Amino acid sequence: MQMTTGFDNSANPAQPRKGFFSRHVFTANHRAIGLNYLWLGLFSVFLGMAMSLIMRIHLIWPGTNIPGLSSLASAAERYATLPLLHGSLMVFFVLTAVPQAGFGNYLLPLQIGAPDMAFPALNLVSFWATVASLLGFTTSFLIQPSSGITLWVLSVALFSASTLFNSLNFAVTTIDLRAEGMTLPRLPLTVWAWFINAILSLLIFSILLAACLCLLADRFWGSHFFHSAPFLASLPPNLQATTALALWQRLFWFFAQAEVYVAMLPCFGLVTHLLSTLSRRPVWGERFVVFAFCGVGLVGFFVWGQHMFSSALDPFSPLVFSVLASSLGIPAMFLILSWLATLWGARIQLSASMLFALGFVSLFLSGGISGIFLARQDLSAAAVSDEFITGHFHLVMGVAATFAILSALFFWFPKLFGRRLSEPLGKLHFWLTFAGVYCIFMPMHWLGLVEHSHSPSTRAVALANAGSSLRSSITVAMLLTVFAQGLFLFNFLWSLFRGEEILESNPWRATTLEWNQASPVAGTGLGTSDLVVYRGAYEFIDSGDSADFLPQHLPPAHGPKPGGELKMDSA
Amino acid sequence: MVAPTATPEVDEILEDTTRGGGPIPPFGGGGDDDSAGEDRRPGNPSPDRYSTGMAIGILSILMFFMALASAFIVLRRGSGVWVTVRLPRILWVNTVVLLASSFTLESARRRLAFANLAGFRRLWLATTCLGLLFVLGQVVAWRQLVLSGVYIASNQASSFFYIFTAAHAVHLLGGIGALLYVLIRNFEKSKLPRRTAAEVTSYYWHFMDALWVFLLALLVLGH
Repeated sequence: MQMTTGFDNSANPAQPRKGFFSRHVFTANHRAIGLNYLWLGLFSVFLGMAMSLIMRIHLIWPGTNIPGLSSLASAAERYATLPLLHGSLMVFFVLTAVPQAGFGNYLLPLQIGAPDMAFPALNLVSFWATVASLLGFTTSFLIQPSSGITLWVLSVALFSASTLFNSLNFAVTTIDLRAEGMTLPRLPLTVWAWFINAILSLLIFSILLAACLCLLADRFWGSHFFHSAPFLASLPPNLQATTALALWQRLFWFFAQAEVYVAMLPCFGLVTHLLSTLSRRPVWGERFVVFAFCGVGLVGFFVWGQHMFSSALDPFSPLVFSVLASSLGIPAMFLILSWLATLWGARIQLSASMLFALGFVSLFLSGGISGIFLARQDLSAAAVSDEFITGHFHLVMGVAATFAILSALFFWFPKLFGRRLSEPLGKLHFWLTFAGVYCIFMPMHWLGLVEHSHSPSTRAVALANAGSSLRSSITVAMLLTVFAQGLFLFNFLWSLFRGEEILESNPWRATTLEWNQASPVAGTGLGTSDLVVYRGAYEFIDSGDSADFLPQHLPPAHGPKPGGELKMDSA
Repeated sequence: MVAPTATPEVDEILEDTTRGGGPIPPFGGGGDDDSAGEDRRPGNPSPDRYSTGMAIGILSILMFFMALASAFIVLRRGSGVWVTVRLPRILWVNTVVLLASSFTLESARRRLAFANLAGFRRLWLATTCLGLLFVLGQVVAWRQLVLSGVYIASNQASSFFYIFTAAHAVHLLGGIGALLYVLIRNFEKSKLPRRTAAEVTSYYWHFMDALWVFLLALLVLGH
């Protein structure tokens, strides 16, 4: 495999070259670990897609027998594990791990000019804990549901612990290991997003860990944190409703709602960074974008009750949660405004990376709008079914985040592997997927609204027929979209070995440090580095030629001469 | 055979994992933290990362216990069927023991600051022993409860009692591990100075102390 990361000790030929496993698997080097998380994510996303395929096929054609796979959905209990595993894989290993632990581990130290993460050994431990947790998840699916659930909870707890360690690493690295001159205002927005995500993850995954501990205590030692059904039945009726599942709901949703916002943060960071770099424009309202990141993350902490509108809590609490949930719109709109303002008037080149970044904006906007409806406490419970919610969160969380990841992958593939992904294949993959996901998830909104509508019986039959044919077409669209991902997989694997090699260190003419680290380490006694940062990350000049940017590490004396070429002594 | 990158210098930077962290960046207009500057040895990672890491770790552990505490409060207030647990009196003895250990810890650090290594070792060992004594005392408390028929599965209040004390004890054992590390480790050969290790461990230990007082107050007020 063409790995241009140079793990062999070319600077020190006397040392024997380390084997494959010590270079790529058991090393604490942040780049290897970042790549390993990406491989993990790649595996998980395809496994998760397979789960969703089985679910949809059984939804539309219940009697279908796919050899080997149908037994996985043969009984109700077995079928119920499919959405659980699909969700766990996608939310944890793709959405949470890939943009943060995958891209973050690889790029964060490079972008701030650090030699590695603050605690490399802890980084390695976190990765292997994540792998163990993935094994736990997949095994839990294959064994009996009663013990499967226990194993699932254990795996969630393990994943939480590994994410906590990871987040600790990210936070400490960003605070303490920045290169000289890399002040907080000069941090690239990707780094800001990783940093804010890390702080917030530290808070919420601790809560999940506590909730899992209580659940495991109930299962193993018979404790009474979450009441069992017989106990509830013995309570007087007025106490039953409030006592029931309220505690688990509160704990879980306090984590989970914050988590879905927090998990989007690295995607916001990536897309903001990419839109700016690819359109050669500085980020509009850069400082406020950071505040908007914080705002989105923080709102997530105050809205757990939006999942409990019908849980018979205090009558005023739904109103409070509804207002708070709607307030997410403020930072979200600011971000969309910033992205659009950044692009306004720019000469946009529609590379695959740019297409996916633009696709992210589109999906986030359209998926987010349905969120405004869901925030209304009177509307959501009575008027929409789960299908509406499924459409909403898949657009905004599942697909938009995936587009952000793909955009980042197309952009940083040269950095990771020294080659380019195929642009024509990438663009084809984009258009097929973009059309496909809208065909899949947009109709779900309509289906969700129609489900609870009160129509006269004649219309009801017509609606039911329309609904069922729509569901079938969703499944067909899904089949086509999933197969379109095969294009991506082919592109990815083929380009690893046969992709066009890049000959320059900065093919995108980006400003951030990972592209322009050319000054060698001095290696003096104090371990100082010559790398100094002189400016922010988005200094683009409207010169229309290839010298339209100022790398962060370039000293001011080599600034652009008026109308002249930019002299750069590096890259 | 691995192909070289277009920028071999990049590989040199990235491969040089033996070098320490860079100079402390001009964060917030300030310069070096003086104590950190003294402790930093050539080629060693900046000790700031350990204190930052510990502070952040403490924040995370605090959230963990806050989740349990808020669950406790919600259930206590909402439940009409709460059976309180009679707290064994040894818990108060344990509290005094733990507070004493914090005191010996600080005395040990003061000895270290005056380069009195022998004094430091004595008091540090005393801290470790007091910590172990606390854990033993907790075990005694559990046994007393079990003997009087109160188990984790008895009712909600007892579930919380056991989970609070057990979770705290597990974290404290981690702290004891850190204390032993500082006691046993040969710091001449370490990249981490003894003073930093002791300082960071002290943050954790005092936090465990305060946490225990908080949990005890919660259990007492839950009556």
